[in-house]
Amino acid sequence: MVKITAQNLEGQLRTLISEIVETEPEKITLDAKFVDDLGMDSMMALEILAAIEKKYKIQIPEEELGKLKNLKEIINLTEGYLKARL
Amino acid sequence: MMNIEEIEKILPQRYPFLMLDRVTDIKAGEYIRAYKNVSANEEYFNGHFEEKPVFPGVLTAEAMAQASCLLIKKSIPDLKATLFYITNMKLRFFKTIIPGDRVDINVKVVKIVRTGGIFETEAVVNSYIVAKGEMTFACK
Repeated sequence: MVKITAQNLEGQLRTLISEIVETEPEKITLDAKFVDDLGMDSMMALEILAAIEKKYKIQIPEEELGKLKNLKEIINLTEGYLKARL
Repeated sequence: MMNIEEIEKILPQRYPFLMLDRVTDIKAGEYIRAYKNVSANEEYFNGHFEEKPVFPGVLTAEAMAQASCLLIKKSIPDLKATLFYITNMKLRFFKTIIPGDRVDINVKVVKIVRTGGIFETEAVVNSYIVAKGEMTFACK
């Protein structure tokens, strides 16, 4: 299994999100707001959460859904659950 | 197991749009198995198609959606939402369904929250997968 570094986690999450939101990865900057800038809705957020759980084999509770505001927050959230898994 | 009366207590759909006849197995938060018997008498076969009746693929998707909604309601019993909207769907169809077929609908939870859910689903006829994919729903 490839070691997850901060750089490749950012790249992987950007790709994952771009496929769900159906936009170019370069538009997903660290601070771009999912709802205001990228047109994401709450069900896309749920799809992102489920895709992250499947890809990294982690469980993220429903309460975290509201925190998925931009890529930076998703990276922090995912890193937190990945560390907790180790 | 759930018979048609029990299904109707949960789902708002009615004839001619109720696409499940029976639930054979259900485990809250995990999966549901249900089926629909496709009869030659069904209205849409007049036009789909007159010479060669084929069960519409969109109705297979509807059967999958209805089974998913039952699973959401059984998984979150205190959920107030009564309406469910498909927000995303990725399905692949492999084989046509024709009058006389029993279509088994299997749905597995990917993720359920109080505002919606994501499900993996498949339709099976005579042990062959005739359609499969993933659906996302919002609850209102």
